Amino acid sequence: MKRAHAFGYIVGFVAILSLYVLVISFENNPEIGNLPYYTFRTLARISVTYLIALVTGLLFGLLAATTKTGSMILVPLFDVLQSIPILGYFPAAIIFFISAFHGAEIGLELAAILLLYTSMEWAIFFGVVGAVKSIPTNIVEAAKSFDLKGYGYIRHVVLPAIVPAIISGSTLAWGDGWFFMIAAEYITYGGKTYSLPGLGSYLAKAAYEYGDTNLAIVLLIIITILVVYINFLTWHRLTEKAGLGTYKPIFKTDWSRGLGLPAMRRLAHVPHIPRIHISFGFRHHILSASRRRIYTRIEKGMALVSVIVLVFFVTIVAKPGIPSFDDIKKSIMIPEMANLPFYTVSTLTRLTIAYFISLGIALGMGILAAERKGFALIFYPIYDIGQSVPILALFPILFISLSQVFGGRLGLEITSLTMLVADMIWYLFLNIVTAVKTIPDEIREVSQLIGMKGFKRIRHIVLPAILPAVVTGSILSWATGWNTVIFSEYMPHGTEVLWLPGLGSFLDKAALQEGNTILLGFLLLVMSGIVIAVDRFIWRKLLRKVERYGTEAM
Amino acid sequence: MKVLEVKNLIKEFSGERSIVALDDISFEINDDEFLCIVGPSGCGKSTLLRMVAGIERATSGEILFHDKTINSPNEKITMIFQHFGLLPWKTALENVELPLEAHEIVKEECRKVALEYLGKVGLGDFVDTYPHDLSGGMKQRVGIARALAMKPEILLMDEPFSSLDELTASTLRREVLRIWADPNLPTNTFLMVSHNVSEAVFMADRVIVMSPRPGRIVEDVKVNIPRPRVEHTRDPKFFDIVDHIIQVIEKACGANVSGCEEITNSQK
Repeated sequence: MKRAHAFGYIVGFVAILSLYVLVISFENNPEIGNLPYYTFRTLARISVTYLIALVTGLLFGLLAATTKTGSMILVPLFDVLQSIPILGYFPAAIIFFISAFHGAEIGLELAAILLLYTSMEWAIFFGVVGAVKSIPTNIVEAAKSFDLKGYGYIRHVVLPAIVPAIISGSTLAWGDGWFFMIAAEYITYGGKTYSLPGLGSYLAKAAYEYGDTNLAIVLLIIITILVVYINFLTWHRLTEKAGLGTYKPIFKTDWSRGLGLPAMRRLAHVPHIPRIHISFGFRHHILSASRRRIYTRIEKGMALVSVIVLVFFVTIVAKPGIPSFDDIKKSIMIPEMANLPFYTVSTLTRLTIAYFISLGIALGMGILAAERKGFALIFYPIYDIGQSVPILALFPILFISLSQVFGGRLGLEITSLTMLVADMIWYLFLNIVTAVKTIPDEIREVSQLIGMKGFKRIRHIVLPAILPAVVTGSILSWATGWNTVIFSEYMPHGTEVLWLPGLGSFLDKAALQEGNTILLGFLLLVMSGIVIAVDRFIWRKLLRKVERYGTEAM
Repeated sequence: MKVLEVKNLIKEFSGERSIVALDDISFEINDDEFLCIVGPSGCGKSTLLRMVAGIERATSGEILFHDKTINSPNEKITMIFQHFGLLPWKTALENVELPLEAHEIVKEECRKVALEYLGKVGLGDFVDTYPHDLSGGMKQRVGIARALAMKPEILLMDEPFSSLDELTASTLRREVLRIWADPNLPTNTFLMVSHNVSEAVFMADRVIVMSPRPGRIVEDVKVNIPRPRVEHTRDPKFFDIVDHIIQVIEKACGANVSGCEEITNSQK
């Protein structure tokens, strides 16, 4: 360990320790003394889930990448699972685990771990699959010709190939874990609130129960500092050690590096990149490729059917006994169902507005950060912290401050949009930065030679070159947007509940107020259907359209 | 008449370890001359070419074009690239038009000139095709048309044939020579970078031989073989010059043989 690193760790640790001492001695909330305990519980929860996700991600990933059956079933199944909003399934899982353990805390804990797990698993799984699949054919053939099989093959070919993907996948998974932490620790179902000791639930309680905005902000700051510090302690270092020290999502193996062949023709053109950890945004690279190549329509259909079966299984198990047709009819045919088209349109509108705001800002920031060192020095740290703030934890705080200015309803609408933007923007930003940075030298030289500058250069060179990355970034930003929608359209405000017309709030009402499992299941199906339809009819078409663009095919 | 003069050029890449890429390079190119720079990979020959193009700055020394220092790209000096440098999202025609448009030439005029030059390189039937659907040789033809359409005085070529198969390369070499000799085209000074010695001897009037990093000029060889050289590629004199240049390079490489392997192997 370098001395500078060790020094950084110690300074960071002391700073966090003193922050805790300060907060505990100056806050007068009755629970403040539990802060270290809550921190421990949250960290333990995320770590345990991460380990489970790592082991299963590796196993499933290797299975999917090396066996035909595995790839036919697992890849499409996981793809569908990760593209539907997980938060929506959580209440059903809660009910199941609570009834299975007769209300003991362990049931709640398992439900939380399940939710965290479903958010962490995909990045590792798809990272492993992508890395194994991108091992060049000549290496595979060389291994075969030297009769390298079984353990030897895994040890000398597969493992070195997937280590970078595991590290970057873990970084993503870890970030996703923090994102869902507050939702996993504090959940309302059927008018009852269940909470697990932890930082997330404490923050939620501070905002919803104590109405103590200051405490909530302090906790949010503590959580953000913890996230940044732990990233620095773990993923930053691993990323550097693995020689990935770049600000670039890893979705395939760089064999030129792995085999020790420096592929730098012109050293001066290798941009100096600040030490920054990798984060979200690589998953869809693999997905966009896998969507086009790895599996067929039939396989996707199979996966969809299995997901529907799974959903019904969960909802039915949650409510013992198989519901009769009348039960289903009674639960679904409520007067509010007439508003479903209107709700769908409003949620889609909200997402679209947030998407275009995010896209605009991300394009500006991304291009500037990639092309001008000065801007990179400002934007990278903003990105680093911005994507570390658990957005869901920001929600109550943002709402309390905004509702004081704009009133409840408008305040919630603005909060919802802000949350969506804060959530969707980073996927786009990271993709745009990466794409601009990977524009080949020759293309840059051509534009320099012919005297393309300013807006003309952006229009003719930069935008076309990054278009595929923008589309793939958009796919992921929409996927995460759907998750945030569930959380951001509905807000308990004092004694009443504020909600915005939309699919998210409809789902929340079904779960939180009425505990109507059948309606919840139905709405989840509707929502998943819309998500898949948007993906199929908009993004896939766009992906095909922009195939000509970009510089990968050169 | 002297068109381009390189004077005491030094290029250093600063970084964690600073690297001297080019060390005290001086030479001249005359009007109508075909000059080729050969050297082992990493000797800085491509960097040198980019400095002449005005897209890379020298650490010290200068490059004069008609006695004026080159600091930025000049429309009278254009370039073709090893990997063609075509924009995949533009058709052959649009690729050729782009530099013309960038220089504020009227749209109709751009189209006329672009079509004319695509015709000259034999791509009249492929103007609306995207690079992705063109063969390597055709892509390089688009690159050549794009460079010539600017009516430059000097054409720079960065290993223009090294990513093509040998048959295509040899056809294109002859075509480039035809363009160079064409009295109706304003472009008649060519500067090419290559690591293929026989290619250099086949095409150039003069071959400048460079040493491995830090790149220095070790010899300036005059190629006294009459043109058209297609008729002389079996002459002993041709092989003498090729052998001489390879020996010069091998001597310059000295102990550092690995860098020279590529260049000598490509001759055998």
